[in-house]
This record gives sequence, C-alpha cells and structure tokens, in this order.
Amino acid sequence: MDAYIVHLERLPALFNAWAKDSALSVPSATPEGFYEFIPWNGEAEIAWDYDLIYNPPKRFVMPAKETLISFDLKDLQAKPVFEAPAQIVFGMHPYDVKAISQLDQLMELGIPDQNYLKRREATVIMALTPQSVAETAFWASVGAEEVQHGFDLYWTKIGPASFLVEVGSKKGEELLHAAAPPTRATVSEKEAARRAKIKVNQFARRKQLLYNWEETPRLLAKNWDSPLWRKNSETCLACGSCNLVCPTCYCFDLVDEVDDKLETGTRSRSWDGCMLTSFALVAGDHNFRPKALDRYRHRYFRKGKYIYDKIGELGCVGCGRCVRACTANIANPLAVFNALWEESTHAF
Amino acid sequence: MPFKKDFSPYVPRPATLKEKKKLSELVTLFTFELDNGKALAHRPGQFIQLSIFGVGEAPFSVSSPPDPSKQTFELAVRKIGAVTQSLHAMAPGQKVAIRGPYGTSFPVLDFVGKDTLFVAGGLGYIPLRSLLHYQLRHRSEFGRIIVLVGCRNPQERIFTDQIEELTARKDVEVLETVDIPDAAWKGNVGVITTLFPKIPIDPTNTSVAMVGPPIMYRFVLAECRKLGINPNNIFVSLERKMKCGVGKCGHCMINDLNTCMDGPVFRYTDIEAYQEAI
Repeated sequence: MDAYIVHLERLPALFNAWAKDSALSVPSATPEGFYEFIPWNGEAEIAWDYDLIYNPPKRFVMPAKETLISFDLKDLQAKPVFEAPAQIVFGMHPYDVKAISQLDQLMELGIPDQNYLKRREATVIMALTPQSVAETAFWASVGAEEVQHGFDLYWTKIGPASFLVEVGSKKGEELLHAAAPPTRATVSEKEAARRAKIKVNQFARRKQLLYNWEETPRLLAKNWDSPLWRKNSETCLACGSCNLVCPTCYCFDLVDEVDDKLETGTRSRSWDGCMLTSFALVAGDHNFRPKALDRYRHRYFRKGKYIYDKIGELGCVGCGRCVRACTANIANPLAVFNALWEESTHAF
Repeated sequence: MPFKKDFSPYVPRPATLKEKKKLSELVTLFTFELDNGKALAHRPGQFIQLSIFGVGEAPFSVSSPPDPSKQTFELAVRKIGAVTQSLHAMAPGQKVAIRGPYGTSFPVLDFVGKDTLFVAGGLGYIPLRSLLHYQLRHRSEFGRIIVLVGCRNPQERIFTDQIEELTARKDVEVLETVDIPDAAWKGNVGVITTLFPKIPIDPTNTSVAMVGPPIMYRFVLAECRKLGINPNNIFVSLERKMKCGVGKCGHCMINDLNTCMDGPVFRYTDIEAYQEAI
C-alpha cells in the first residue's frame, strides 16, 4: 500500500480544497462535552485524540430519514429518488469504518439497495488511527482494531505535527494531491505508524473477550435458552437507544408523506429498532416478539450470529456506544458474551 | 449482478380495482388488474405489497391461482388497519399501487401424484385458495384433495359459496368446523384438529399445506406427526411483518431468515430447527 507523509500545516489548504466540491465532516468536541462529526467551516478545531464520536457514522450512508420514492396521487405513478451528495468524512476510527463496510456488504447482498449504494459511492472515508479509547469500548477484542479496506485514506499521527497517510483508493490518492504534492513515506515513518497502531491497540485490549471472537456464533447457538436473556431483559425499557447508537443497526420503517393539496408525496425510510415493542407486531395485534426477552435475545443473535453467518464478520464492532446509551445498564455486548462464555461448558 | 444501477425495488406499479365482493363482515375480495397490461405472474403462496399512497403499504397473499388466461388477480383482505380501511372504502375503477410478487411459493410439483391435505385456519384459507384452485384446474395431476377449514364462528366464514360448491363435488373432500357455533350452525364444533379423526388419510402419500393463525401450527403439526405424515411433505406459510419485501428492513425475521424472501412458504423440515418459526 502506498503511503505519504502530510504535515499538519498543510491540512487547512487540503480541507479547503476538498470542501469546495464535497461536504466535508471532521471530528470535533461539542460544547456539551461529546465528540461529533461537524461540517468543516474553515477553522474548526480537529479533535485528533477523540475517543468516540457520540453518534454512529451510519447516518452518512443511511440517513435517519431518507426518501426512497416520490409519487403522484392522481395517476399513481411513482419514481425512485436517489440522493447521493458528494461527501468526505475525515477521521473515522477503524471500528466505525468496519461497521460501514458491513453495511456495504449487507446492502449489496441479494437485491441491491441502490439508495444506499449510490450514497456510499459518493462518500469518501478517511480513517484515523485512534489516540484514545473510550471507557466502554472493546473493539480490539472483536477484530475491529484495524481495517484493510473500506477507506480511501488511512491517517496515523506519527509525530507532533505529522501524519502517515496510507492510500486505500485511487480517489483517496487524488484527494491527497489536491494541494501541493505530498512526500512519500520512508520505511522508518511506516514503522512509526505501525508502532502507533500497536500502542493504541494494546491499550484497547484492556477490555477483553474471554475467548476468540470468532467463537461467538457457536457460543450463541448453544445459549438460546440461557437464563441470562431473561435476567438481563427484565429491566429493559424497550427504548431502542442501543439500536439508535449502534453503527451496524440498519433496520428501517417505511413512511408516507403527502403535500397539503394531496397531489404528490414521498415514501421515506427511517431508522427503526428491533428493541421497540411494536417492531414485529402485525395486524390483529399479534406480536411475534412480545417480550423484552425475545427482543433482547434477537438483537444479540443478530450481532453475534446472524450477521456473522451472512458475511463472516461479527455484527458488533466493539465501539461501546450501546453500553453508554443504555440507561438500564444491560446493553454491554462484552459483558453478555463473556457471561455466556463463563456459564458454558465449552464441550463441543 | 443483473440489477441496473437505477433500479429501485421500492417503486410500485399502478393497478386498478376491477371488482369488490364482500366475503364476511370484515373481509372483502378485491380483484385487481395491473395498469401496464401485464399479468402479475405470481405462484401459489406468494404475496404482494399494496400501496395506498399517503396511507402506506401492507403485504397481502394473492388468493387467486396463477391463470395464463387472466390478467387479473385477487386479494382477500380483512378491514383491520389504516391501509385496509382505505382499501375497503375504494370503489371499482379506483387505483392502488403494487410491488411484487414476492417470496417463496408452494412447490406445486411436490404435490403432483399425491393426496393433498389443506389445513386452513381462519384467513389462512386466502393464500391456500391459490394452490387449491390451481390443483382443481389441473385436477387429474393430483390425488385426493382434502380441505379442512376452521373458523372462530360461523359469521367469520369466508368464500362460503365456493366452499359449498367444493363440498358438492365428488373429487374434493371438504370438512368445516367452527370454534364457537351459533343457533343455526349444524356442522362440526371445535378447533381444526377435531376434524382429523373424521377423515381417513394415507400418511405415506399425503402432502400437507397449512396456513392459519400462529397458534394453530403446533397443534396441526402434532396431528400430522401422530398420523405419521413425512415432515418433508408438510408446507407451511408463515405470517410476519413484511415491510420492504426485499430482505433489508429486518421486520419479518424468523431468527436469521427473512420471511419476505426465504418464506413465506417453508418446507417444515427447513424451519423446524428455528426457535422463532412455529
């Protein structure tokens, strides 16, 4: 993989060049004391050492609400609506990049979802090696500490004011040349980047799964009837916060809206959550997952088994957002998987 | 991938309501025709997504059999939610929009040369009617046709005149029951499994197609097991909240299966290991 060196003082010129043609988002501290991707305004202070972006970046590729079709109420003709604005997300941690790569695969699987794929194609992702780790994060123990694909450029801070930038795509390389040409990285600079990654990954491993993460689908398959599901879900408020902040949750609802004259309208999808009571409710008031236990277990099976069975990756990237969002303190995948491991016999 | 880049699976096609026929207090049979002049080209057991723009979209099983001589298709719909209330308020000539057909169907060839046991609980008769009438049109290809129909009460019976015609035929065996009779009801009383002892079934040569309320399946399956019917020859159609119809939105999942694409019709042995199925 080609790698370049970019010095800090060159960044404003690069950012301004990129922001001419694309909506550029950068990580920054919010007044509320969180970190968030905000639009680059020419002078925003970049939070290089952020630990976790509060909201998952899935909104860049699958907005909370997105129009899918427009229709005419008179002749009932409907047309697809594709929105794919050019955008660049700068500074995404590898586990979030991995989450988006999963969505890429799941949205392409079977009948491809062009609303997603077109938006994704217009999105440039610049990964950034983390410099700090959120208290609730465990990404290094689920194989999400580094990514080999899914990014256009991969930035690693290797000195007080210098970055090693690995190239992930031709588009990324072109963007890097948008201002004055960057210099190629030397072997020692590449080594510095490798060490920076190892250092943070080692620190992140303080929160550990008790087993190799690839055992998770087998672990779950043996534990459908575990008492843990009931015990944990007893205090579930069915608020759906864990779904909302999850970077890999993508379930959606479809909603119609019409104009005041009742002539035209749109159908949109909006994020939905499998933890909400009505998620599997059908006509006649029959609910296929009536209990918190059913919904809670389903969510962990999706993350730990169903998605793995489809694409060979764990559906949980260990970002720790759900741990922080859950007011009942039951949504900790690491705690759930470890508890299941401890109570299992491991006899295959 | 054979999909075009501007293809959206979410765009429905306009269709016109041709006829309306009341089947019970809440259930009406609607006959539709696609405005593009093409047949729906569905298979027995498949479903469509019906849109009433501005109100929403809901999934319905197609009740008519595939019929190359006809452009129309039928949906029997119970008035129960927003979309179905609006649909029931429509008059012939008015338009809706249709996506689909979606999902798996009853594998017709698996029924050829065998006896077929239909087990229809309540509205379950609606999707089964598609397979049943298909078999009747190709009557000689199939063995005995046994139809068990169960309803909560006599007022909720649907397709009563058609069922009467079937009862009169010599080549179809029909048995009906209701859970709660009224004064005029002279037939069998009890849940649908009470009909099983009333009819001889050859377990070695019978395929089963069953659709009904969620509670029905485990009891009917137990009866089939008692008779010794090969579970490979049992087909069920399962209801879930199909929303997108293309395996993306997550609403209709049975464990990791998407009912909209992997179902709604399943061979029983394909789903018996799934905890959320039956």
